[in-house]
Amino acid sequence: MQASSEIEIALPHSVALHARPAAAFVKTALRFRSRVTVGVNGKVADAKSILAVLALGATGGTVLRLNADGEDAPAALDALAGCVSGLTE
Amino acid sequence: MVGIVLVSHSFELARGLAALTSQLAGTEVRVEPAGGGPDGTLGTTDDTVRSAITRADAGQGVVVLADLGSSILTVRHLLEEGRGNGHIRLVDAPFVEGAIAAAVMSSAGQDLEDVARAAEEARGASKF
Repeated sequence: MQASSEIEIALPHSVALHARPAAAFVKTALRFRSRVTVGVNGKVADAKSILAVLALGATGGTVLRLNADGEDAPAALDALAGCVSGLTE
Repeated sequence: MVGIVLVSHSFELARGLAALTSQLAGTEVRVEPAGGGPDGTLGTTDDTVRSAITRADAGQGVVVLADLGSSILTVRHLLEEGRGNGHIRLVDAPFVEGAIAAAVMSSAGQDLEDVARAAEEARGASKF
């Protein structure tokens, strides 16, 4: 069964999606088979590509629109939401 | 995990990139610098690259990135000597972005094929 799901979640105020936090985010996305994208201010990146995620330049407090498409989409979004809310510098 | 070897004419460049890469990907991935010629000169040597490959190899393969020109020839020369066997892969990738992309993929437990592809696809990535 194909399932596409989408959620929005804000980065913690003090954490930009750069360097180590970006890598933690990408590593979480890579645990799932679903295609996962992250949208920020109209730009959309492959959530499994560190370079694409870094290029978003998402600063602390920015709302991320996460879209997952595939069998494990809901689990992927749950895990990514948990990852984002737990990010620290 | 797939190991990463960074071959540069410059000792400092290879070591600095290894530090940056490890900061992003975490220290569980073996990222080994192989930079500089004999006595602190700019250049590359077979011995430096050979020992970096040995240190980086944890059994799941090694991706080698080189900065440009003769550093690539040095790696090719070594691989032709027989350390190749498909387990050690020289990739055609931008040095900084390729290293970061490869190391993050490796840290997520991806295989040699996926890690090598991530490095090579880094060429098409925009910085902003």
